[in-house]
Amino acid sequence: MAAAASASAAAISTLPGASFPLHISARPQPARVSALPRTRASPPTWRLSVGSPRARSVRCLAAGGGGGLAPEMRATLDKVVGSHKVVLFMKGTKDFPQCGFSHTVVQILRSLDVPFETLDVLANEALRQGLKEYSSWPTFPQLYIDGEFFGGCDITVEAYKSGELQETLEKAMCS
Amino acid sequence: MMGSRATSAVLSRAARMRQKLLSSLEASALDTEDVSYQHAGHTAVKENTNETHFNIRVISPKFEGQSLVKRHRMVYDLLTDELNSGLHAISIVAKTSKESGS
Repeated sequence: MAAAASASAAAISTLPGASFPLHISARPQPARVSALPRTRASPPTWRLSVGSPRARSVRCLAAGGGGGLAPEMRATLDKVVGSHKVVLFMKGTKDFPQCGFSHTVVQILRSLDVPFETLDVLANEALRQGLKEYSSWPTFPQLYIDGEFFGGCDITVEAYKSGELQETLEKAMCS
Repeated sequence: MMGSRATSAVLSRAARMRQKLLSSLEASALDTEDVSYQHAGHTAVKENTNETHFNIRVISPKFEGQSLVKRHRMVYDLLTDELNSGLHAISIVAKTSKESGS
């Protein structure tokens, strides 16, 4: 019911320096995501405001088209990818992925018991377009580890099979 | 002259993609598989369910010494026009001939 709404209302924060409000719920993060009971639908941990006038202006900025990434968007994305060890930009949410490739990466991260944040690019077109340029990567999902672009679905799957993903994550968690 | 400009309009996306990848990457092997049918009904491909999703396997000497991310970016860069005109997703296997064991 109102769990998601109240959590975000109570704990909305704006990233310092971010050009538009990026609402992050301060719901205590479980150390192990996969230890959560299956039935509990966790609210999206990132909330991008779509209703505020400021968010609308960002959409216009990003819709400028072709002229490169708006500096505000770049600054915001720098903050986002730097604020958590593991950030996944995906279609849909952890609990309801809207695309098979996004689903695959969520499953992999869950199986490795790493805490990770997700952002739904379908909920914010400016974010979706901005990220394509920011990452020089035209598709989703996009996985960031320790502030660095790690790869899309194919690369993540391959790195998971080879053990490289686990290694990179371990390093990130210890850093 | 090949007159490729004149024919490109009628080539399928798969054929255009093959042309671009083969010539730019000097690929020694290239498989493209149209898997769009697996994604029919997908929210993003409502209007056009043709040639939206591909599996690509490419072997190129240009991948030598390049990370996977760089290799995939090379492929994506070559296919920018396609990605901007309805190609939705590609699954990429990018190897050097040494790695492919052939």
